[in-house]
Formats: sequence, C-alpha cells, structure tokens
Amino acid sequence: MPGRQLLMTFPVTATSHTLADYRARGGYGTLDMVLRTMKPEQVTKEVAASGILGHGGAAFPAGRKWQVVHLDDGQPHYLCANADEGEPGTFKDRWILENAPHLLVESMAIAAYALQVRNAFVYIRGEFDLPYRRLAGAIDEAYDAGLLGPNILGTGFALDLVAHRGAGSYVCGEASGLLTSLEGRKGYPRNRPPRLTVRGLYQRPTVVNNVETLSNLAGIVAMGAEEFKKIGTAKSPGTQLVSISGHVNRPGVYELEFGYPVAKFIYEDCGGVLGGAKLKCIVPGGISTKVLTAPEIEPVTYDHASFQKAGSGLGSGGMIVIAEGTCMVRLLQVMLRFYHHESCGQCTPCREGMGWMHQIIDRIVGGDGRPGDIDRLIQISEANDGTTICGMGDAAGYATVGILAKYRDEFEYFVEHKRSRFDGRLEVPVHA
Amino acid sequence: MKHLIPEFERIKARYPAGRESSLVLPCLRRIQEDRGFVADSDVDDLVAWLGVPRIQVEEVLSYYTQFRRKPIGRWHVQACRNVSCSMRGAERMIDHLARRLGVRPGETTADGRFTLSTVECLGSCGTAPVVVVNETYHEDMSAEKLDRLLEGLK
Amino acid sequence: MPEIFINGVAVEAREGATVLETALEHGFYIPYFCWHKNLSVAGNCRLCMVEVEAESGGWMDIACNMPATKGLRVLTDSDKVKARRKTMLELVLKNHPVDCGVCDKAGECMLQDYHYTYNGAPSVSTVPKVRATKFHELSKRILLDNERCVLCSRCVRFTREISKSHALGIVDRGDHSLVRCDELRSLDDDPYSDNVVDICPVGALLSRSFLYKSRVWYLDATPSVCPGCSRGCNVDLWHRKREWKLNALDPRHNACIERVTPRDNAEVNGPWICNTGRDLAKFLERPRALVPMQKGREADLTSAIAAARALIDAAKHPVALVSSWGSNEELAAFKAALGTRFRTIVKPDRLAEPGERIEDDILIRADKNPNTRAAVELFGDATVALDEGTDLVLVWGDGFDFARLPRHAKTILLCAFVAPENGHADVFFPVSVQSERAGHYTNFEGKVSAFSPCFPRPPKVVDAETLFGRLGTPVAARSGAAA
Repeated sequence: MPGRQLLMTFPVTATSHTLADYRARGGYGTLDMVLRTMKPEQVTKEVAASGILGHGGAAFPAGRKWQVVHLDDGQPHYLCANADEGEPGTFKDRWILENAPHLLVESMAIAAYALQVRNAFVYIRGEFDLPYRRLAGAIDEAYDAGLLGPNILGTGFALDLVAHRGAGSYVCGEASGLLTSLEGRKGYPRNRPPRLTVRGLYQRPTVVNNVETLSNLAGIVAMGAEEFKKIGTAKSPGTQLVSISGHVNRPGVYELEFGYPVAKFIYEDCGGVLGGAKLKCIVPGGISTKVLTAPEIEPVTYDHASFQKAGSGLGSGGMIVIAEGTCMVRLLQVMLRFYHHESCGQCTPCREGMGWMHQIIDRIVGGDGRPGDIDRLIQISEANDGTTICGMGDAAGYATVGILAKYRDEFEYFVEHKRSRFDGRLEVPVHA
Repeated sequence: MKHLIPEFERIKARYPAGRESSLVLPCLRRIQEDRGFVADSDVDDLVAWLGVPRIQVEEVLSYYTQFRRKPIGRWHVQACRNVSCSMRGAERMIDHLARRLGVRPGETTADGRFTLSTVECLGSCGTAPVVVVNETYHEDMSAEKLDRLLEGLK
Repeated sequence: MPEIFINGVAVEAREGATVLETALEHGFYIPYFCWHKNLSVAGNCRLCMVEVEAESGGWMDIACNMPATKGLRVLTDSDKVKARRKTMLELVLKNHPVDCGVCDKAGECMLQDYHYTYNGAPSVSTVPKVRATKFHELSKRILLDNERCVLCSRCVRFTREISKSHALGIVDRGDHSLVRCDELRSLDDDPYSDNVVDICPVGALLSRSFLYKSRVWYLDATPSVCPGCSRGCNVDLWHRKREWKLNALDPRHNACIERVTPRDNAEVNGPWICNTGRDLAKFLERPRALVPMQKGREADLTSAIAAARALIDAAKHPVALVSSWGSNEELAAFKAALGTRFRTIVKPDRLAEPGERIEDDILIRADKNPNTRAAVELFGDATVALDEGTDLVLVWGDGFDFARLPRHAKTILLCAFVAPENGHADVFFPVSVQSERAGHYTNFEGKVSAFSPCFPRPPKVVDAETLFGRLGTPVAARSGAAA
C-alpha cells in the first residue's frame, strides 16, 4: 500500500456503494455532527486550515476558493462537483462515483452547509453510465432517508442535489465550461474576471471542486485539520487517488499518501513495466503534463513540490507508463488528434493552433515531414501559452514541448527518414 | 416528445426555479434514449416547452459528440483510440472491428445492426483497450473477446 | 475615476471601464475583432492582448476584459505586444482564404488593415487550409462565407442582445465551427439583420443587394437621415465618387445610392438601422416626375407658378395637405409663405406596408414618416376634412387618396415621383428629394438630424422650399415688382 489511506479504506463488494454499507462504515455521522454543532464559517475554517489542494489538476487551495464566497450576501450560491473526468489517463474520480458515491454526497452536503448553498450539482461526463447510475441511486437513497431534501436530518437545513450528465466534450471539465454546459448551452469556457466564486452558475457565486477534493471533506471535518495535515507532506497534505495505465503490469486506481516515492510506486506497487520492458518515460498526471524520463523520476516523490522541481506537475492524477521502444512521435500524434477534436473553437490560438499542429504531425507520420515542422510545433505551442480563454491551449502546448524537449531526436529522425525510429507502434514492443 | 413531459417535470423540480435552460441536456438525452435519436419535431417540442431559442438547442446538438439527429445501428460500437488504449492495442482492435463489420468508423452495417465509431478517452484507461456498446463499457478487450461480444448482439 | 498608465502616460479611466475602452478613448489604438462598444465582451479573438507591468513580473492578457484599476500600468506597443499580435494574426491567416481580390470587404476590412499594420508577411503555414461553405444563404438578404469568418461572434451577439431575434449561433466546434442561422430561418424575419454585415470585421457576411456592385474606394458616403419612420436614424448614403464616375455607362450609375449604412448617433439610433433604412433607395429612386405640368401638359415653371398663384388667390376655402417628409426648412417656408392662406393639415405620406414591423422598443416607430413632429409643431395635428365647400386642394408629397377629392375642387400637386394623378392636377410641380438638397428632420423625440445633398437635382425639378416662397408672395408686394 503506497502510504496511509483516507478514501480507499474498505473492500469493494457488490454492495459497498449502498447507503446501508456506507452507514455501517460510519457514514453520515459527520454530516450529523456538522449540522448540529458547527457553524458554516467553522467548516470553511477547518477546510482552509487543512491546506487541501484541488485534485482536478489546478491544485488550487480549496479553502481559499471557498472564502471568496460571502455568506449572507443575499444571493443564491451554488456548489458543483466536477465529475467530468476527461483528461486522458485519468479514471480515479470514477472509482469514487462507482464505489463511494455516498462519500461524495455526504461531503457535498457538508460543503453546501458551509457555503450556504441550496442547490448543488454533480456534473458527470455523459459517457460514465455506471458511475451515473450508482450516483443517482445514492442520491435517491439519500433523499429517501432524509439526508437530502427540504429538512436534512430534521435540522431544517435544505439541499437539493442533482446528478447532471454531460454529453461528450472534454472542455466541460474546465470549471467555467462546465457551468456554461450546466446552463444548457455549449460548454464554452469563460474569460476571468469575474471569478466563478463571484459570478459563476447563472452569474451567481459558485464553487466548483473536483470529486476527489470534495470527497475528502467528510474525513477532514471528522478528524480535524491538524490530524489531516499529519498525512502527506507540508505543502501537499493528505492523499491522492492515482490512476495508472499504459505499459504497466498492474494498472488501476491506487491511493498514494503524498510524498510516496514514484519509482517505488511504479516498480513495486504496480508491478513494473509490462512484459519486463524498460521504462522510457511517464506522463505524470494526464497528457497535459510534461513527460518525465525514467532517470528523471528516480528522485521524485508524489507531491506538488517534487514534481514542480522535476519540471512537471501532478495534474489530474492520471499517470501513463511508457516503455522503451514506444514511438513518441506517434504518441504525440494521438494527443494532438485529441486536442484538435476537443477544442471548443472559441478563441483564435487554440481553434487554429490545434488543427495546425494536428495537420503537421499527421504529415510527419505520413512520411512527408519538412524541416521547420518541429520548430513550428514549438512556435504554435508557445502561441497557446497564456493566450487562451481556458487552459486547454496551454495544455496541448505543454504536452508538445514536453515531449519535444526530451525526444526531439525521434522527430528529426522521422522527418529525415520518413519513418519512425522504432517500428511506429504504440504497444509494448514484442521481443523475439 | 410530449409523453416524456411528466418525467421532465420531475427532473425540473430538483433544479432552481426559473432555470429551465439547464434542462436542455437532460431532456435531449432522455429524448434520444427514447427515440434513438433527436428528431426535428422533438426540437420543436422541446423549444416550445422550455422557452429557449431554437438556435440554442441546435447548437447543443451539433457541439456534443453524444447527440445525434439521425438514427444509427441498433448497437453503437464505440472504440477508444486515445493514448492508453492505443498503447494496449486499440489501433489493431479498431482495424479488426472495421474488417469484421465491413464498415469504416462513422458508418453503419448494411443490416442496420452495428454502427462503428472511434471515440476519445472514456476514463477507463486502466482496463484498456475499452469498447463501449450503447451505454455499457466493455473493458480489457481483445479481438477474440470482441468477436464473442459481437456474436451475442442480435 | 481611477488613474492608470498607458505606455507610461497617466490617463483617467471612467468608473468600471476596461483597459481597451480607456485606451481607445485616450487615443491609444489597440486592435481587436470581437470587441464592439455596443455588444457584450466575448474576448475570443485574443488580438487585443497588452502587457501589464508589475513588480511580481508582469503578464499579458486581453484588454477588452481587463478592468482599469487604479495604478495599473499597461503597454500597448512593446516588443512583446507586437510579437503577440503578429502571432495572433498569423493564426487567423492559417485558414483565412485571402479572397481579397474577389471579396466585397476589401478596402474596409479590419483583417486587411491589421495584416498590413501588424503582420505584413505571407502565411507561414505549410498545411492546407480548412475548407468550409462559401456563398451560404444565411438569409434572403445576407450571404455568409464561412472560410473568411474569424468566429468573432459579433453577429451572434447582435441577434441575442440588440435585435433579440436569436437567429444566429455557432454550430459544431473547433476549427469546423460554423456561424449558422436557426433552422426556422429567423434571420429572414429580423428587421435589423443587415447590421451584422456592418459589424462583421471581415468579408464573411455580405449584403446580397450590394454584392459585387462596387469597390468601396470608388465610393463616397454622404450623411443623411432615413425617411422610413419617425426615428430618423442617421445614415450614410454611399455613391460613386465624382472623380470615379463611369463614363461608358448610363449616367444613372453615377448618381444612385449603392448602399446605405448607419451613421453612429448615440442620441438617436446608435450604430444601427433597420432593413427598411438599408432599402431606402427604393423610396428615393422611384421613377421621377421631371417637368411642371398644367392639366397633364408640360408647362414652363414661370407659367405654372403664375397659374398656381391665380388659383390660390381665387380660392375661398383652400386646404393644403403638407408632406411629413418635408424638411424643417421646407415646412417653415410653407408656413411663412402660405400658412395663413391655407387650412393646413399634416399628411402621413407613408403607412406601414404589409409585413413591415409596426413598432418595437429597439428603433422602429409606427409613424412611417421622418418629419411628422416638425410638421405638427407648425400646423397642429388636426385630421383632414375635405367637404364640398373646399374649392382648392394643395397636395404636397405622397399618400393622399385622390378619391376623397371634392368633385369641384381645383388641385395643385407637388410630388417628386411619377403618379397618375400628376397628369390630372390643375398645376403640377416636380420637386426634389432629400438626396438633392440640404435640410433637417426632427424625430419623434424632438432630436434634429441633418442630411446633405449627394446628387444633382434634375434640371426642371424645383426645391419645394424656394417654390413656396414664389407661390406665396403677397399680392400687394407683387404689383410693384417685375412680373
């Protein structure tokens, strides 16, 4: 087990997602305690004191986000869980939705109480059918048991929670795109200012938090911020659910205590590289983070500071393991095709740039690469760095320059020889 | 669409008052589940019931990948072609599917049974390669497992 | 009023203003496509990015959404900003078809202007351009070329925020996004639709009626006022420049209205007009009455005037129906010369046509005449009552139902256009239209707007203003003067 566990603390069975099982594990006890003995401001204070950072990719301190919302400002506030989980390589929120939906529901009720929210939403990507049904089932159970609705646990606190399904758009995982979609329109992200905590859903103060971030709250409030901070590292308290996939023997969702050594995680907990191959590099946290080579990950521990020092980031917690012999040109091609497909089309650099990059890499892979193509990919990436409405443009740029910085020679080879240096496949090369 | 209105009213009750616009996606999904696609008359009816501009519904239908305005095959076979799935054999599997069904991605078999699509990351990378048939995820797929799966779909 | 610094210069910003607004108001130009002073901020073109100087290191961001907060220091022309602008324009150029040689917008195209100012280099792309629909019929009046479109969304925001028709949207996504009208073709029913052609920064949205008519650099714009209703929207009438007249063609080509665009007047119409205004040439360019007549026979002006004066002198119960299309000057001249002699009624020359919007809270007014207010202020708003006692009727302008004419009454007619009644009048005078003279209209709110002449008056056509003076000189003063 990669460190102490906070969320994956029970065996997954056929019924572990039900209300009965959740209650048997002590579920909804914290909500009860909060509603009866704590003021909303106290809850926010505890969350802020815990130092918990967002688990969706931006790593923004959750408490600081909450504190922008002015209680008693006379207007409706909204809370939204971001369950759009679309970052390639990431599938850890899905674990919570399928196996611990009540943990999310209870935590959202606690958060809603803290933020004076009367209507809360879980925006769940349209493709997640089983997760949606589990969550909707949990919400129905909660309503039936008086844990949601007009008079929660008889305390007079009222909350309506809706599981709202998306319909296939990666940028709806961006908080402002998510809210625009929730309002019934295309998932177009918005410019800031204003911040969403000032004008968000329906132009009202809205807190959008990742599913995993929210799911931690019940535990934080139960154990207290001080106890929580004993887990993990000083700058990254607590744990992270990590999805690991790719050329790895035991892919899946693991909970890592922050500070856990990454190499140990890959080689021991996850069984090492598929087929006994050597590790080439990893995509640390969803394809929008810069790749780290096998030597580079040796000293790295799983926390924000260590990854930043290594020149990358934790991102969305979706780690992809890449074995030696994988063609990085083809890998980037798959990524750029994805970004091109998902660009919403609003702003110039991303709309024109994603297509442009995709066309260039298709040309290279097709054997028609030209001198100047590689530098053009870098130039377009830079043109998307800090210039776009949302982070997708930047993300595509980071993926590109990250791979080009470490594997430029493979691209130059492809351009010169009109083929991959390796056999061009993306699967683990089969050794004779 | 009109027979779905009582259901829509129940959905509406949990949203804040006066925010009918938010119901566009849930209602379109329900309409598509019911009919198999969203017909022009459904758009008229939904616009009339919600009071939103028709262009808003048209934009939404064109923007999100899961909505369709024309019927497709009985079984929508959607194969992920993103990074982790490609690294675990998705490209070969998609070729296999295309050959076995005799269609290219985006097309429907002549007997109307299968429509083949390639899709982006489904959030199932740990059990790659993944194929979704209608709503159901089929994980850890291989060519053999796919053949068995397709045979079972009438 | 917060003080900010633009390129080191301290300027006072309005409360709540953005950096872009403040910069433009103080003479610092920042290029933009998607921003428009009368529309919400979209912030999608990314062309207006500026550099913010800060001790923490500074950053770059779009100016159209940047609040002008006290002490903010921005640079609009630094090397970083110049490089950023060039990059953004390169990205626009990646898929832009560069149709300038066949595009109506050439010469007044924001992209063209910006390219030459801020980029100036050919496209650096080595991949094919994305192809899209050209000549798409967005409405019966408007064509759309999606390849030229830069997806600034000005047109979409216009139909949401100004005309409220919600006719337009952007479908699909990414670089295959397309501006489209809804499937009910609501843009056909939007009487403000053509404004999107003005606000389109490139040649994507084109007016069908102006398509390929003329290059804009051969045209001049003369300020005028739309006579379509009592709003009196200020307009520009576009016509061929004198020095670019086409000798080989029918002279009428050199003296016609090629197109009509709004003239921004914050007090009256802002930067918008309705489609009736776009089509106002159809009011002013109907077949013209060209010669004075007596009972249908051509007469010279002097004889016609003499005959008219005789009729006026002899009449016992003369009634005049004055034109609500008469200018302030013409109406005042009538009042001075003939106001005491005639019982004067203000006539609505034009009523709403079938299918024409009657009134709304945007621009369109139910009174389809430009100068009713001035006329009513001079003559009151009594309705016409022509009884058997009326022995002389002077009708000035259109819109009179000649069936109501008392059988024995004499008639003096003043009209600009060919009409069957012209030949039946005892005396007929062909008069000028507003594009042939200077004048003013007073709109329904009392706001006065000016129009200027852009075409010569046909040789035997008279200005009503002068004519009234000659019809109404007092008898006593006449007898001593030369005939």
